[in-house]
Amino acid sequence: MFSIFLIRAIIAVILISIVAATIGSFSVFRGSTFLVSGIAHGALAGAALGIYIALTFFSVEPLLVAMLFSVLFALSIGYFMYQKENVDVAIGIMFAFSMSLAVLFLSMIREYASVAWGLIIGDLLLLTEDDINLLIASVITIVLLFLIFYRKILFSIFDPDSAEAMGIRPIYYETLLFVLIAIGVVSLLKCVGVILVYALLIVPAAASKRIAGNISACIGLAFIIALISGLLGIYLSFFISVAPSSLAGLVATAIYALTFLKR
Amino acid sequence: MFQQGIEIKNLTVRYGDYVALEDVNLRIRHPSFVVVIGPNGAGKTTLLKSILDLIPHEGNIRIFGKRPKEIRNIIGYLPQRERINTNIPILVRDVVLMPVSARKFVMSKNDTKKAKKYLKIVGMEDYWNHRFDALSGGQQQRVLFARTLMNEPHILILDEPFSGTDVATKMSLIKLLHKISKNKTIILVTHDINPLVECTDVVVLLRRRVISYGLVADTITEENLEKLYGARVPVIRREKICYVAGSDVHV
Ligand SMILES: Nc1ncnc2c1ncn2[C@@H]1O[C@H](COP(=O)(O)OP(=O)(O)OP(=O)(O)O)[C@@H](O)[C@H]1O
Ligand SMILES: [Mg+2]
Repeated sequence: MFSIFLIRAIIAVILISIVAATIGSFSVFRGSTFLVSGIAHGALAGAALGIYIALTFFSVEPLLVAMLFSVLFALSIGYFMYQKENVDVAIGIMFAFSMSLAVLFLSMIREYASVAWGLIIGDLLLLTEDDINLLIASVITIVLLFLIFYRKILFSIFDPDSAEAMGIRPIYYETLLFVLIAIGVVSLLKCVGVILVYALLIVPAAASKRIAGNISACIGLAFIIALISGLLGIYLSFFISVAPSSLAGLVATAIYALTFLKR
Repeated sequence: MFQQGIEIKNLTVRYGDYVALEDVNLRIRHPSFVVVIGPNGAGKTTLLKSILDLIPHEGNIRIFGKRPKEIRNIIGYLPQRERINTNIPILVRDVVLMPVSARKFVMSKNDTKKAKKYLKIVGMEDYWNHRFDALSGGQQQRVLFARTLMNEPHILILDEPFSGTDVATKMSLIKLLHKISKNKTIILVTHDINPLVECTDVVVLLRRRVISYGLVADTITEENLEKLYGARVPVIRREKICYVAGSDVHV
């Protein structure tokens, strides 16, 4: 019963919860949750490009190309902001651009497209050691950079004008946040897929923000909600044989709904 | 030392093709209480941001003979509240401590004491551990005001500091400003100069250019206000002080 795949799934859920607590909370604070979805779709184009390169030129891990592509996506959003474009519009444009590229690349790799499609749904119970390693590397990167730049990122999204007057360049730290979001999102794709990244990254943080008394509590609670959702999702999938990520998403949404009961 | 205060020479600011400020020249003594008034879109916020060197501009700005970027730590800035993100469960104490925590990693007891002191001054000492985003607009404004004082700045730059505050808060903030203005330069943007006329040294009428500046009694004239707002605004003169008629609170 405790197969290596199950153990990997549990480790993945813990790591995903850390991403949900940090990246998820800050996306909610920033009010740009749409970015998570946008980057997830952007990653698809990257993965398809990676497969195309692997088929025609040289061997390369598609997910790493996806990572690179998503980081570029995030940097472009920063550049759009620098050009005074509305962030939602910027994400929308990059979304459209990368979806066009995704369809283009997918039609170029034809029979191998299923590899890329695998990223759309993902599977918590089919993770390889490499997938876990990527997740670990991403989590370490995210947590480290958060620890170092926490206040600067926070001030930049809270009160950019004052932050700038205090010598912090908000545009840099917001872009850094976007890049961290990109890293977090891509590392989750194998586990929960493009479609459900949003459910596991945003919903726990959104639920937690409704009941937490301060930022640290919000981050901690988001971790716990994501963890409960993920573990419960895996557990339930033994009884109802459907994808655990879908159940995790439903649990997270149910927890969010419960927060309405408060007050 | 350098007593020259703030010098603004040939300041022009463009947003794309749009000229928001055109050839603004001002010399502000230190200490002094300067009030900037003008219609919406006149460039008031733009002027403050240029003084802080937050936006690209043409011309020269010197504060105590230095570039604004070099002496940021002696300037307190209160931005217009609309731009603040209230989607974050940040605590009042963290907001007030921002100017300190932006510079150093660990805060001292003394910093906390100072933060509490300034919160008390604005009447928000009971809210130390409250969520900032859960406060009313006026309460938020008071907290932001306390934050502005944290670094004990020599220069205060305040963009509509009374927006959303009730009459009593407004009056107590004005009293406080008046008290601390003895050795500070305060540049304040407002739409209602009346409660401030008694403490104002210089008023600047701004509408893309400086329409006029100087003592309140000389500057607030019907002729100047008509140029400023593009409409007739009556002025009431009383005991050597003049008021813009039609405004609300009087101290
Ligand atoms: N980032 C920007 N991009 C383009 N135009 C801008 C930008 N910021 C300000 N403007 C324009 O510059 C002009 C001056 O703006 P500013 O914010 O300085 O006005 P204000 O006097 O502070 O007005 P208010 O009383 O409404 O606060 C306005 O016409 C505005 O539309
Ligand atoms: Mg303004």
